[in-house]
Amino acid sequence: MTKLLEVEQLSKSYRHKTGLFSGTKIVALEPLSFSLERGETLAIMGETGSGKSTIARLIAGAEKPSGGEIRLNGKPLQATDYAERCRNIRMIFQDSLRSLNPQITVGKQLKEAVRFNTNWDAAAQQQHVVETLRKVGLLPDHYHFYPHMLSSGQQQRVCIARAIVLAPQIIVADEAFVSLDPSIRAQIINLILDLQQDMGISFIFVSHSTEIVKHVADKILIMHRGKMIEFGPTQVLVNHPKETYTRHLLQTGTL
Amino acid sequence: MNILDIRNLTIELDTSAGPVKVIDKLSLQLAEGEIHTLVGESGSGKSLLAKAILGFINPRWKITADRLWWRHYDLLGLNPAQRRIVTGRDMAMIFQNPGSYLDPNHTIGEQLSEAIPSGELKGFYLRRRTDRKVRAERLLHRVGIKQAKEIMQRYPYEISEGLAQKISIAMAIAHSPKLLIADEPTTAMEPSTRAQIYRLLGKLSASQGMSILMITQDLTTMIPNSQRTSLVYCGQLMESGTTEQILNKPSHPYTQAMLEMSLLDQSVAPKSRLPTLSGAIPTLQNLPIGCRLGPRCPRARRACIQTPPTTRKKQHSFACHFPLSEDE
Repeated sequence: MTKLLEVEQLSKSYRHKTGLFSGTKIVALEPLSFSLERGETLAIMGETGSGKSTIARLIAGAEKPSGGEIRLNGKPLQATDYAERCRNIRMIFQDSLRSLNPQITVGKQLKEAVRFNTNWDAAAQQQHVVETLRKVGLLPDHYHFYPHMLSSGQQQRVCIARAIVLAPQIIVADEAFVSLDPSIRAQIINLILDLQQDMGISFIFVSHSTEIVKHVADKILIMHRGKMIEFGPTQVLVNHPKETYTRHLLQTGTL
Repeated sequence: MNILDIRNLTIELDTSAGPVKVIDKLSLQLAEGEIHTLVGESGSGKSLLAKAILGFINPRWKITADRLWWRHYDLLGLNPAQRRIVTGRDMAMIFQNPGSYLDPNHTIGEQLSEAIPSGELKGFYLRRRTDRKVRAERLLHRVGIKQAKEIMQRYPYEISEGLAQKISIAMAIAHSPKLLIADEPTTAMEPSTRAQIYRLLGKLSASQGMSILMITQDLTTMIPNSQRTSLVYCGQLMESGTTEQILNKPSHPYTQAMLEMSLLDQSVAPKSRLPTLSGAIPTLQNLPIGCRLGPRCPRARRACIQTPPTTRKKQHSFACHFPLSEDE
């Protein structure tokens, strides 16, 4: 059976122009490979500037890779294949209020995703959106709410609803828990764990909270200065890390 | 001896729905050289408390307290000018997102020199100027910045958040305050930088006998050698005690829930559902009566619509009708 997501020799570098013809190359991500199975959770950890967000953005298609390949179900994904990506790989961002459009109601925002990616009629679209709202613990009434009328926890739920509305295979969450209060964060983690069980979604988390990563992740990928340092199952990395960097990061939370 | 003594502090705001007690009878004591962690979720009034201590007060707020004493000064009894002198001499504060608190138009060196009190410099103009520079450099060394000369030339946009926080700490300790209030100084910082800042604060407190009131959102982000911890929820003090007591033997259901939710306990099975408080944090307009945790509390019963009295046992105090230790 083919793996859900295979990343092979993926790399990213930026050219920084210093003159008309001259330029320096900045390597954000050195070639790395990893894979993800269906229903699994992968956590990407590392410092700022280690390239962890770059990986997330490359997988979600927000940026073009400089080299390497991303395969979904064994089929290579092209950088320009937006429709395919949109349906199968969705993203959740750190600041939920800022990633929602303040001028459109919650329901309309969710409906847009459905409208552009399916050929259902209006009633079916609406029905689907209401069902999705219920799945993330919101009420059908929230369809008519504007984002600022909701609390931060509810906004994050809307973002999750927008991610799952097309029944994707992978959800990429870039620091999705940082700005939430502890009690709300626990609720959101529970919601994500439930959704994963019900819908068999794979998650890719970018995070620096050791406690949460240990709790939710099946596999951990450690990044340091654009290089992949270690990749393996959570239990192995927590109990028997090969690198000192990993041990510091996971056991003490300090460097 | 307690240098900061707050008893039954109440802050009332006027809203369209009538006056709201944003902080409701909060008591807090801080001893000399002690690190006190104040934990509260958003909307708990923890930043408001810091403002009330420092005197950044909006005239529309109604502040009442049985005691709000700083050493032998009654802060509420002082007039604004006197209060300003006391606060300026003895207290300092650091904030979250330190980068945004630095002036983008001036170099770090210029801003840091400004923070050094002029009264302590002697001699003529040139002498004072060089002294100021030397002292600014020494301050940077004290907060663990090695290339002080180089950093002083830089502008705020050229430095990282961790470095900016160290610089704001350097500014805060320039006049050797007795109390440093740190309002979520490490939110959105990565663990390694956070650990550095905490080590630095711990060291400063130990070496200078400076008390620190550390305000955080979460029990996981705590200075390792903090002696006492208090938890506030919606402006009410839930539990207060030594850090050991709070972490190992909580009496209040809220403390227990916070401990479980922050996953400090290693026994929680991976991928299992986390215990959580149901519902959301109430807004200011809809604060519940009685114990404000009531609607979300797993142990709530009928009596909880009455504000629970505070039980005090030595260093430990909590406000709950049904504390955890009693029936076990």
